[in-house]
This record gives sequence, C-alpha cells and structure tokens, in this order.
Amino acid sequence: MATASNKRLSAPERRSSLITAAKSLFADKGFHGVSIDEIVNAVGVSPAILYRHFKSKDELYDAVLQDFSCQRESYVDTIVNSEAGFEAILRGITRVFIDSIVSQPDLLKIELYSILEGHQAHREFFLNRWKTFTDYIEYSLNELQSKGRLSKIDSKASALMYQGMLREVLLLKCLQQSEHLKEYSLEELLDKMISQFINSLELN
Amino acid sequence: MSSFDSELDAKGLNCPLPILRAKKAIAALASGQTLKIEATDPGSVKDFEAFCKQTGNELLSSAEEGGNFIFFIKKS
Repeated sequence: MATASNKRLSAPERRSSLITAAKSLFADKGFHGVSIDEIVNAVGVSPAILYRHFKSKDELYDAVLQDFSCQRESYVDTIVNSEAGFEAILRGITRVFIDSIVSQPDLLKIELYSILEGHQAHREFFLNRWKTFTDYIEYSLNELQSKGRLSKIDSKASALMYQGMLREVLLLKCLQQSEHLKEYSLEELLDKMISQFINSLELN
Repeated sequence: MSSFDSELDAKGLNCPLPILRAKKAIAALASGQTLKIEATDPGSVKDFEAFCKQTGNELLSSAEEGGNFIFFIKKS
C-alpha cells in the first residue's frame, strides 16, 4: 500500500524495505515463485522504484543473502571463552548457530527452496554456512585420531551426519511445529543430539 | 609487514576454525612474537579484529592479497 510515509523514505531506507519484503516472500514462495509485482505491491511502490535499487530479481535475491550474511554469527566469543575441549566448543558453536536460526527462520525456508531450485550460487551460500560445523568436526576428529583418542572413523562423513541431525532438529522445531517429539524443547533435543553424537565417537 | 615467528594456513576454512587454530598457535608463542595467518573466509577480517580485542593480542596488520586475507598478530 503506497502511503505518504512510504514516499518520505530515504534511498537506503527504501532499499532496506524492499529487501525486507523480498526476504519474507522468497521464504514463503522461493525465488521462482515470487514476481517483481508481488514485491513492489508488498512495499507499495512502482516497479520503476525497485529497478532504481536493483537491476533484476537476481540482484535483489543476492542482496537478501548479503543481508543475512551481514548478520553472520560470531563464534569468536565461544572460541575465546570456551574450554579447549571438542565437546565444549561443539556445544558452543551449535548454540550460536541455533540462536541465529531461531531469530530468523526465513533463512531456513530460503535454504530449503534454494536446494529445490538448484541455483548454484545460492546453494553455495548455504553450504558455506554449514561449513562452520563440517570444517570444525572434520578437523577436530582428524586431530583426535592423530592423538590416538579416537579409533579410525570417516571424519568427513561424521561431520555430514552431524549437519543432517542438526538440520532435522531445526526443521522439526522451527518450521514444522510438529506434534512429533513435542515432549522435548529445542534445547533438550539439541542436548540429546550432541550427547549421542559425542557418545557414539567413544573418545578415550 | 614481512617478519613473523610462526605461520598458519587457514585458507579454505570457515570460522570458527581459523580463530581456534590461531588461538592454539598463539599459545605456543612467547610474548612479543608474531603469527602470520592466511585465510580465505571474508568474515575472518571482523573475526580477527574481535579476537584481538578480546584476547589483548595486537593485530599488527590486516590486508587482502589476491583473494586471500593476511593477518599479523603479535602476542601480548
């Protein structure tokens, strides 16, 4: 809806309002499911205004991803303040990541659409986010094996399994509001998941 | 900036690994010694600034060279 207040927005504010509206629409319908008309209608401006800020829908989508990456999680506190142990750090970085997803569930929805829509650059953006865990787990398990604290396992596959478990917990608790496992809160489920993962490694 | 006492290759790794490995590498240095870090994660620029602020180590320089981010950190 076009209003007088809309017209008073500065260029950065207008750009930001377009990104916010697009983020919500892309989360609900995916990149291909949203038209430029829908985005401009949601903000109450003409397509010409949108094209003044973004050359194309692709560029607007990139700006949405960029906006998410500006709110990128910081793991520095966790690393500086954690004990050096594998489990303590894994729990710490998982907590930071979960807090970020809970505060912006649109990110999870847009990721799911990006997997189905198969856009290479979009997929890489999300794969890169998960690398936080896969890199850390793979590196740490290799290190534990070299110190003889862990029997020989495939650290890359283990990292992928952790990612899969975490993604499933997030989908179940943040998007599906499923009755399944409703007796557990997100925190309880995460705690169990991490404990089971650590126990399965049988560290000595 | 060219003189350093230890070097860490964190290319291709995402946070938190570069920070974690830098923390370990700095722990092995004596006070006043310098660690050079090479990373490719663009987020590492902010991360190493925050890391040095929190740990009290000095970020001597932070630069981009051909897509790599180069940091020199002096242990406090």
